[in-house]
Amino acid sequence: MTFLAGNFLFSQGFQVNFQGQKQQGMGGAGNALPLDAASVFFNPGSVSFLKENSVNIGFTPTFANTLFEDANTTSIGRTNSPMGTPFSVYAVYRKNEESKFFYGVGIYTPFGSTIQYEDAWTGRFALTKLQLKSIFIQPTVSYKLNEKIGIGAGFVYTIGNVNLQKDIPVQDADGTYGHAELDGKASGFGYNVGFLVQATEKLNIGLSYRSKVNMEVAEGTATFTVPSSLTANFPSGTFSSALPLPQVATLGLAYKLNDKLAFALDVNYVGWKAYDTLAFDYAQNTTSLIDTKSARNYKNTLAFRFGANYALTEKFDARLGLAYGLTPVQNGYVTPETPDANRFNYTAGLGYKIGDHFQLDASVFFTHLKRTDTNLETNLSGTFTTNVLAPGLAIIYKF
Amino acid sequence: MKTNFKKIAFFSVAALLVAACKPKESKTDYTAGDLNLSNFVAIGGTSTSGYMGDALYREGQENSLGAILAKQFEIVGGGLFNQPFVAENSVGINTDNLAQLILGFKTDCLNVTSLSPVRKASSGDASIFSDNLYDATKPFGNYGIPGFYMAYAFSPAYSSQNNFFKRMASSTSASVIGDALNSTPTFFSLYVGLDEVMTYAKAGGKNTTLLTESQFQALYSPIIDQVTSVSNQGIVSTLPDVTKMPYFNTIPYDGLNLDEANAASLNAIYNPIGLSFVVGKNAFVIQDPSAGTFGVRQMVPGEKIVLSVPLDSVKCNKMGSVFPFRDEFVLTLDEVNSIKNNTELYNNYITAKAAEKNIALVETDDFYASLTSGIVFNGIGLNPNFVSGGAYSLDGINLNPRGNALLANEFIKAINAKYKSNIPTVDATLFRGVIFP
Repeated sequence: MTFLAGNFLFSQGFQVNFQGQKQQGMGGAGNALPLDAASVFFNPGSVSFLKENSVNIGFTPTFANTLFEDANTTSIGRTNSPMGTPFSVYAVYRKNEESKFFYGVGIYTPFGSTIQYEDAWTGRFALTKLQLKSIFIQPTVSYKLNEKIGIGAGFVYTIGNVNLQKDIPVQDADGTYGHAELDGKASGFGYNVGFLVQATEKLNIGLSYRSKVNMEVAEGTATFTVPSSLTANFPSGTFSSALPLPQVATLGLAYKLNDKLAFALDVNYVGWKAYDTLAFDYAQNTTSLIDTKSARNYKNTLAFRFGANYALTEKFDARLGLAYGLTPVQNGYVTPETPDANRFNYTAGLGYKIGDHFQLDASVFFTHLKRTDTNLETNLSGTFTTNVLAPGLAIIYKF
Repeated sequence: MKTNFKKIAFFSVAALLVAACKPKESKTDYTAGDLNLSNFVAIGGTSTSGYMGDALYREGQENSLGAILAKQFEIVGGGLFNQPFVAENSVGINTDNLAQLILGFKTDCLNVTSLSPVRKASSGDASIFSDNLYDATKPFGNYGIPGFYMAYAFSPAYSSQNNFFKRMASSTSASVIGDALNSTPTFFSLYVGLDEVMTYAKAGGKNTTLLTESQFQALYSPIIDQVTSVSNQGIVSTLPDVTKMPYFNTIPYDGLNLDEANAASLNAIYNPIGLSFVVGKNAFVIQDPSAGTFGVRQMVPGEKIVLSVPLDSVKCNKMGSVFPFRDEFVLTLDEVNSIKNNTELYNNYITAKAAEKNIALVETDDFYASLTSGIVFNGIGLNPNFVSGGAYSLDGINLNPRGNALLANEFIKAINAKYKSNIPTVDATLFRGVIFP
């Protein structure tokens, strides 16, 4: 089973919010709105306010295109990344309506990407491909303290895989450049806790905290393809590395104007400062192959998400959302692996109930990114422009 | 069924949106500004010709400074740039009739085989000297001539003295500047004076002298006068400090590694005249007529050993120790300083002339200085290390295609600054560095 995760592009500035179709239709907000089982991710505290047992399976095919335009030359580089495939599966269960405990599990992909540049692009010595997969598995318990307050906590186990490739500026007689491929399995642990209070009849306030997960690659495989006279300089072997997936604290507000219209606002504080260095430690070093420490110097950021849900009819819900995310990538540190920028996200969604047990939710997401920078490490200088379109669909079974 | 149809509709719309989702390229307005680039002529010596790997051959010519510039000029309406091309499959040739250098394996006197520059063929391709490629209907753009000295700029019948010029001369009585200006260039580049310095430096300062400041001026002035009288738009280049090139920095002054026995035997020889040796690193011994009674001393930091020194003799026959390096293999501190100081004086003059003639000036010396301290571009690191440095060709003097591309970019930046043009620089990642077997 190769469920690749979404695109790393969205993990910058704010986390990949492709963890629930209803929320995706509303700009990614949903912390304080116990809409469905996706609350396992958004706020374990609000799970206890759910009305039914359910299973929720969602999938968001993601299409991202990046264009790099060199600042000084006529060279451009485009990506031909494969479709991203973030998915989420949730199940929540309580014994009966009187039970104060809700049990749940979530399997979702909040970080991950494949960004692949076309052959021979000008930044090939910085990056040709980065594939990051991560799957979070989160068993969760939520408890309703009283009519107004719910709390919840989940343990997070993460498995993943990272594959990074770039060309090496040594050529053989055919002019073919050397190539490096670093591939490794990673795993990590974390938790997700939340709290929801129904402050008034109309207003909910939620708080949640997802911890940092340090994805450690203990023994990855480094493969170097170089001219034969240089094989001793670039010995293939093992390496170790680590990638921090940041902590996220969220304050959520939800306001029910009337029976038909509800608003949600989430503010995320994302601890990207944890990503200060990308280091590769090779088991076997040579004069040509030394351990690398590349400064990333990310900073902590905020994201604001706002959305509305409008009940058109008994069966149909319409949703609209807008989000604004600040980039964690500082000037001088933009890389081809994360051509990130401040950005607006535009989203819309539709819900449709089929009988008493089934529901379909669809959403669509669009964002446009543009960033001009000169990287301090590689001196790659130019403008990255990225468009992302992600339509998604979920099916929910209630029982 | 209804749902199915909706699904199909939804994904069809999505697919359409995806197609429209590709970011569009922004339009950059490249312009020649005040320039007329319809006929560009590059005038210079070895470094302009496309000479690299110690020979003139096709690939070097295709990546010559002028060729790279002309290609960028084309983007803003520049004309054709013809070159006196060597045949595609030629192994090339240099002034000593040797073929180009390529990287191969060489076994030394200690029976150690290592990666090293070797000649591509046992001798150079002398057949190229029997061609005359001149065609009045397709005037050459590249008047970079290997081994060209300013003193011969106006010499009639220079083709009898320089086989490389002979291949392209309009007649047996043609001069370099005469031919170069014959097509009335609208724009020129002039990068001369380096071959003279290089001849002195490669010979370890033996039997040659550097041009004095006034000699340089007397030679440079009529050339720039004549060229600008025909073409009032152009660029002149300053000269790099050649002592920083790998050719002079690959064998360290203190590369004499001694074990106990060898140190003792050298001490036995040299202690009486005041030289002493230790186990480990020592400075090489050189001949220096001004050094005391015996004219022998050890090298000091900053002094250079040229790359043409016979390394097997050093490794196995005690050259540089029992038998001191002869003058032609060494640049002493005085010689290093003369090169540096004279080059600065030349450059001051070139700079003043550029201002006087109101043309562009490229500070090529600054580019080489940055190369000496190390350049990183688009993730490629370049440094002045021999072979592995990435910008110099295998002769340790001339740039390889990638190095030429980066130097051409400095020319373009200077041209843009002077002539309000916006000519794009070239993507140097598209040019090769060193080829490894």
